[in-house]
Amino acid sequence: MKKFLKWLGIAVAVAAVAGFLAFLYFIPPFDSIPPEEISRGAGEAGPDLAAIADPGERAIAERGRYLVTIGSCADCHATPGPQGPQLKEMYLAGGMKVSRRGVGTHISMNLTPDAETGLGKWSDDDIKRVLRNGLAPDGRAIPGHVMPWPAFSNWTEEDRHAVVTYLRHTRPIAHRIPTPTPDVVVSDPTAQDEGLGGKDYAAADAR
Amino acid sequence: MVQRLSSSLFLLLLAFTSTVHGQAVLPVDGAKLYDEKCASCHGKSGRGDGKYAGFLSPRPRDFTSGRYKFRSTETGSLPTDADLVTSITAGLHSTSMPAWKPFLSQEQVLAVVVHIKTFSPRFASEQPRSIAMAPEPAQTPQNIEKGRAAYEKLKCAACHGVDGRGTGAIAQALKDDWGRPTRATNLTEPWSFRGGRTVRDIYLRFRTGMNGTPMPSFIEASTEQELWQLAVFVSTMGRRPLWEMKGDEVANFYKAQQQESSSDIVEHGEYIASVAGCAFCHSPFRDDDTMIEELKFAGGQRFRVNPFGDFISYNLTSDKETGLGGWTDDQIKTFVTKGVRRDGTRMIPYPMPWPNFAHMKPADLDALVAFLRSLPPVSNRIPPPARPNIVSYLVGKFRMLILQQDPPLNTYAGNAGEGGR
Repeated sequence: MKKFLKWLGIAVAVAAVAGFLAFLYFIPPFDSIPPEEISRGAGEAGPDLAAIADPGERAIAERGRYLVTIGSCADCHATPGPQGPQLKEMYLAGGMKVSRRGVGTHISMNLTPDAETGLGKWSDDDIKRVLRNGLAPDGRAIPGHVMPWPAFSNWTEEDRHAVVTYLRHTRPIAHRIPTPTPDVVVSDPTAQDEGLGGKDYAAADAR
Repeated sequence: MVQRLSSSLFLLLLAFTSTVHGQAVLPVDGAKLYDEKCASCHGKSGRGDGKYAGFLSPRPRDFTSGRYKFRSTETGSLPTDADLVTSITAGLHSTSMPAWKPFLSQEQVLAVVVHIKTFSPRFASEQPRSIAMAPEPAQTPQNIEKGRAAYEKLKCAACHGVDGRGTGAIAQALKDDWGRPTRATNLTEPWSFRGGRTVRDIYLRFRTGMNGTPMPSFIEASTEQELWQLAVFVSTMGRRPLWEMKGDEVANFYKAQQQESSSDIVEHGEYIASVAGCAFCHSPFRDDDTMIEELKFAGGQRFRVNPFGDFISYNLTSDKETGLGGWTDDQIKTFVTKGVRRDGTRMIPYPMPWPNFAHMKPADLDALVAFLRSLPPVSNRIPPPARPNIVSYLVGKFRMLILQQDPPLNTYAGNAGEGGR
């Protein structure tokens, strides 16, 4: 009887370990979630633009939202969480980390209109300039392989205006982003860079 | 007169910079400043081949050619120092060349000008030949009418179109001196005139030609006065910009824009590809971050998504064997919007952000596919995604899900595809 219990215990333990490994192997179950469900969040992210009274400005902001969505801005600029970018609570508030050789370590910026920690004090031209050539208002060059502005540098003036209009209508979120540092930490010595996005790196660095 | 004016301006600037409050200042190192501020686009050697150049349209100037678009000098001549100073301080509108005025002192700008001139031997042996400029005419109805006649006489519509929107009969075939496709400027959007939108700016473009581009000087074919009148006319062609529109005007504008985009679906698709930033991942880069331009859109950039494995960006060119040439339109659209491959397997939601592209308008998606179909075939066979060995996979998953550690996403230099030409 004792022997039987012992073997039963071992069997249960083995089954539990196997089960746990199988569980690990199969989650997160991207394959079992329909694509439409995965992509829904990106479509619902951002402010309610119906509240904008002027139909002209509303239409411009809608265009801006479209550009921000298919330009994938929020993938880096929504504060990252364990389940991916926090598109609802921390929309465009920044906090993803990229460390790149020869460039340094950057945390994605807070694009909300918060005056102290976001783009509230940037002029329209300041924002448009970064989208064209990566030049920050203080003259610092934002590296094009960290923030891919070169890929976005051909947008028309009118589309950049729409993006700025839209950003001005997002909810201001106080979320201070630390300034870039020259140090580089890349765990794989053969890799060009390393992006980290499972948690809020702005908060981690502020501590 | 102008030559004297610009050279005296230069001397004045020089005088201003060499002494501040009567004290001599240390000379600025123009070469160092150039490397810091200019080389990322224009290249260390000034050939217009900096690390970001592969993305930019128009391309950064190749300083070794000595050919400049924005001058106050005869066609084929070098620009004056004042011309170069203007391009740097005011920037070139609607391009990635910023107005450096807020960021560089006059002294720094002049030092950079001196350095830029060293890239072409022409500056050592030639003098810029400034044009003599007649006074600017008034914007009277008569002058506008005469300018309209000049627009016809000089066949501006062949490239810029009768309505000035840059869609003339031969606009599609235009190439610059480097053999790259270029577009005729849309004259109804004066905020995008690179060299400025004043009547004088516009006049200078006809008078001096935009060297390096198909835009010639028209001084042989017309009188000085006609060119000024043409500039007056062109300055009246501008439409209202979006930022001045109100109410329903905006919706109508967007509707018209959408209709217009269906007339050249490939060009619209190219624009959508630039909005989505496709080339950023679907091109390989060298160790120094420059794009391997022969493989632009041909994929080959490697991403390691821990713990899911290696994903190589796909070859988007129309190559039948290794690119999208063998995919149907529906297969491309399904992958772009749902992350489902031809064989039915699924892509995780990154690094390819298909969950965002799922929200692309059908017309934009059609245009994007049409643009990808138009890319000349480049052979670059992309290996399928590779999962790490099961132990690394499970350890990675354990760290990610149980220990809540953030798994890194790495990118690698070089082409991970098999091919290249």
